[in-house]
Amino acid sequence: MSDTPSEAPVRSILPKWIRGPQDFIGGLAMMAVALFALWASSDLQGMHGFSFGAGTAPRMFAVLLLLLGAGVALVGVLQDGPHLSHYSWRGPLFVSASIVFFALAIRPLGLVVSAFASFLIAAMGSNETKWLEAVVVGACLTAGCAILFPYILGLPMPMFPRFLIQ
Amino acid sequence: MEIFANLAHGFAVAFSPINLLMCLIGALVGTLVGVLPGIGTIATVAMLLPITFGLPPVGALIMLAGIYYGAQYGGSTTSILVNIPGEATSVVTALDGHQMAKQGRAGPALAIAAIGSFFAGCVATVLIAVLGAPLTKLALAFGPAEYFSLMVLGLIFAVVLAKGSVLKAIAMIVFGLLLSMVGSDIETGASRMAFNIPELADGLGFATVAMGVFGFAEIIRNLDHGAELNRDLVQQKITGLMPTRKDLVDSTPAILRGTVLGSILGILPGGGAVIASFAAYTLEKKIAKNPSRFGRGAIEGVAAPESANNAAAQTSFIPLLTLGIPPNAVMALMVGAMTIHGIVPGPQVMQKQPDLVWGMIASMWIGNLMLIIINLPLVGIWVRLLRVPYRLMFPSIVIFCAIGIYSVNNAPVDVVLAGVFGLVGYWLIKHDFEPAPLLLGMVLGPLMEENLRRALLISRGDWSVFVSRPLSAVLLAIAAGLLVLAVLPALRAKRDEVFTESEN
Repeated sequence: MSDTPSEAPVRSILPKWIRGPQDFIGGLAMMAVALFALWASSDLQGMHGFSFGAGTAPRMFAVLLLLLGAGVALVGVLQDGPHLSHYSWRGPLFVSASIVFFALAIRPLGLVVSAFASFLIAAMGSNETKWLEAVVVGACLTAGCAILFPYILGLPMPMFPRFLIQ
Repeated sequence: MEIFANLAHGFAVAFSPINLLMCLIGALVGTLVGVLPGIGTIATVAMLLPITFGLPPVGALIMLAGIYYGAQYGGSTTSILVNIPGEATSVVTALDGHQMAKQGRAGPALAIAAIGSFFAGCVATVLIAVLGAPLTKLALAFGPAEYFSLMVLGLIFAVVLAKGSVLKAIAMIVFGLLLSMVGSDIETGASRMAFNIPELADGLGFATVAMGVFGFAEIIRNLDHGAELNRDLVQQKITGLMPTRKDLVDSTPAILRGTVLGSILGILPGGGAVIASFAAYTLEKKIAKNPSRFGRGAIEGVAAPESANNAAAQTSFIPLLTLGIPPNAVMALMVGAMTIHGIVPGPQVMQKQPDLVWGMIASMWIGNLMLIIINLPLVGIWVRLLRVPYRLMFPSIVIFCAIGIYSVNNAPVDVVLAGVFGLVGYWLIKHDFEPAPLLLGMVLGPLMEENLRRALLISRGDWSVFVSRPLSAVLLAIAAGLLVLAVLPALRAKRDEVFTESEN
């Protein structure tokens, strides 16, 4: 993880006494995950006699994570550490959009349409994409996957839009 | 001479046409992945997990294993020729290897890397065959308390040998353990943390999480730096692959030392190829008569780490095959592959599935032979592949992953979940949390819980069972000792030194 030092440090909105914002926020988030898990497993049965209930292990690990998260956050307060790093929005947004689109489209629209469209959506995640090139490669990849998955690997999946077949 | 009979059986299995083909595909894909920076071994194995669904189990595992050790070969090629390590394991190879290439000695550097890898691969194959049976016998004597302690030790090893903060690495393991709890409880059948989502009733898919945290997160992170990774190819004609007599004399002891060190570090839980190559390079530099030669094209600096990473990549199969405990993230994925095919990893695999175990061991030797052939004469082709721009590679990987995840259960929800874990993984990377321990925790979670439950049930709720049984106590003591050592400032500094060596 060699975060480039050339990146301009994000102006910290956190108070000064937090010396390692990256660790501090990271630790808090882990604590949040732990609390969420504690809440989610609160309705499960605990120990009965010598044997574990369904909820014993999840709660045990959640408490452990809570303590560890607190530890990480504490390190963030006590020790100088890296600032929060810079998040970009373009990559995450379009890659996620492409994944979600694929998930929504695969059943009704089939592999060919959804794979090709998702390819183009994902390609928007970079500002260096050249469209002609992307369309050609996307088409080839779609064709390749349409042969590989259902025929060579024998994994059944819808190929074409449902309304075309019926 | 049970070993010979077993190995012969293994070779019979591995030489069947389908398995030879799988081995070749694995070696080719592995080399490809090793050459291309931006896709790691873990991501690739995760990506191909769903594909193995339709294959016979032996072939599937042979292919996945081929990817792992194939990547160790491929990584060295780009390190030497382009000074871009395709894999984390060949970061140190770039130090001296690329200097050799600049001096016009790319050929010998590549040849020594391949010879070293092949030799290490052969030794490791034999080692797996020899150690397999006795370790399995030992494992069968383990009770639940010992098993639990062994897993704790394995996880602690993983933490100690990982890069970065010990506290954060442990937090990641526990996060992974928690994720593994989602779904039905094995004993009571109660639905845990599933929020009545039917797709979660069976638990979070291992392939889903792995592909999200390693595949998607890696892509999103790479896009941060701009899609065009800076790859100025030093495109020279590679002339004369043959190393000189002096090269061979110089590198032979380095290859031997690298192989030994790599084999040991591979078996240790938490070890694996990355740490092995770092350690081997550091060792060579320490014992060299003239350490200043390192970084300026010393052939030992290529021979030792390349032998070590290949040896470690293969010996890390030993704990997986004998104890059923994955020592690193790639092996954790192998567990995932076995479970997909209904094989429960553990000591019984060796007896119940001799085809699988010995076939895989034999295929490793065959695979190494194939890799030498793939790598040396075809080196030009692999280098040309580096010209494929990332702006075309990343959408392809996204789509391939998405189709792959969908195909596991035909569930669109799985695809969305992988996307969510991609964002989680991106966040983790940004906060310097290593995702590998998370995966390890997730795989070991159900096993740990089961053994913990059983141990406590047998001891009638008495927690002291973990320290009163001698074997378990020893394992826990080692774990505690390691943990203390890892937090001690002196060793920490040393550990950081080993890792930073690569970055400048």
